[in-house]
Amino acid sequence: MIELKNISLSFREKVILKDVSFRIEDTLTTVIVGPSGAGKSSILKIIAGLWKPDSGEIFFNGINVYHMSESEYQTMRKKIGIVFQSNALFDSLSVTENILYFLPERKSLTVSELNEKAERLLNFVNMDGTGDLYPEELSGGMKKRIAIARALAFNPDLILFDEPTTGLDPLNSASIIELIEKLKENGTTSVVVSHILNDVVELGEQIIVINDGLVVESGSIEKIMTSDEPFVNKFFYQLSKHNYIMKSNYNMYELINV
Amino acid sequence: MAQFKNMIYGFEEFGFIVRDLLLGIKTIKYNWDETLTEMYLIGSKALPLVLLGGLFAGVILAIETGHQLKLFGATSLISRTVSLGMVRELGPVVTGLLLAARTGAKNSSEIGAMKLSDQIDALTAFGFNPVHKLVLPRTVAALIMFLPLTLIADITGILGGMLIAKQTFQIEIAWFWDTAINALKMKDLFVGFAKPFFFAFFISTISCYFGLKTKGGTTGLGKNTINAVVYSSIVILILDFIFTKIVWEVL
Repeated sequence: MIELKNISLSFREKVILKDVSFRIEDTLTTVIVGPSGAGKSSILKIIAGLWKPDSGEIFFNGINVYHMSESEYQTMRKKIGIVFQSNALFDSLSVTENILYFLPERKSLTVSELNEKAERLLNFVNMDGTGDLYPEELSGGMKKRIAIARALAFNPDLILFDEPTTGLDPLNSASIIELIEKLKENGTTSVVVSHILNDVVELGEQIIVINDGLVVESGSIEKIMTSDEPFVNKFFYQLSKHNYIMKSNYNMYELINV
Repeated sequence: MAQFKNMIYGFEEFGFIVRDLLLGIKTIKYNWDETLTEMYLIGSKALPLVLLGGLFAGVILAIETGHQLKLFGATSLISRTVSLGMVRELGPVVTGLLLAARTGAKNSSEIGAMKLSDQIDALTAFGFNPVHKLVLPRTVAALIMFLPLTLIADITGILGGMLIAKQTFQIEIAWFWDTAINALKMKDLFVGFAKPFFFAFFISTISCYFGLKTKGGTTGLGKNTINAVVYSSIVILILDFIFTKIVWEVL
């Protein structure tokens, strides 16, 4: 379980996050949603330990990591995988090398053991037989799946996704969503940052709405959709107008207009 | 005022990178593959550039000084001028400036592109220090490769000078080499061979620093690549001035 308490962040004079607090429960998929520039990705980078907030506390399974040194934080990082919006694959490395590059046990395993691990991960993300390709030879959706495989190489307890479906066509988006759902079945907790309504509906078991560096609403999809908060109503109404939701048991447009 | 503040921030950030680099020196054993790759890119790939740069520096030095010395009937001093000029000044500086352009631009643009595509964040997120993984191998590779490249520039420069001395000023090759080598004292060699280490360190750290602080998309990348080359070149000239001053006034 992760808990953020009163997190504030600013860069020089620009305030990014103001007193942000929420909890991420184990095995639940949490979606952090909000407009561009609201501070969603900043939260992800704080959880991943890439940025240190100006104030507040961060708890990982009850341990306060805010005052941890960089080297102490390294141990914590091994439990967290991250999939960047840009995928952040290394252009000069093949798919297999990208997946295995960060493994701490890379030096101790044999070549066949490493290849077996890479093949297993590629199979999990439905990318069998692509190990020798280079990132420039892959489509956007394929790159995203490789980035997920790389994040999984550590067997992390938590995976952070920054805008996982942005820029992908509907079929690729659906396959990424399926992958995130598959991770949940394996007991991995996911935190997804998105501004796409489909991601919120399909994945969100817990939703946190951010606007202008503040948490304006949080809870289940039903709670969010029936919120009295004017920003939440306006934001989701605007999103629904631009998204055609393909899910049999949900019709967001109707839900909003109830 | 804002510019002054930014400059102070810049020095602070550069200081942190140098500190991380020095503290992480032991991690080089985990990054030998990257270091060897960088040595190849800095060394063998830059060799034609250094050969040409050194050769023409020596040729120009011999022509310019030869014509002046001819006025006093002292063309026999060309060899001495060329060897001292190449080993102490032109060899290291020409090599430094050429490598500031080539290696500096390469470091800054590569790391900058990695920064823009979140690869630097990925390194950190997966438990690596980007300074240890990217800056250290490049700096060690530069420290190893700059001295041999400078030596090559020195030798080709003296060879170029010898050709001009023979063809234009009718100086015997044996005489040229004899006086060229005898002119060099230990302090000349010390200065000429110490400079490349300092140049290598600053070219590498300055260019990596500009790469790591890249932001603002492709415009920012271009701007920081220019800054990396410009600042590295300026630092080379300043360091060269300091060394020259020390040679003449202290040693």
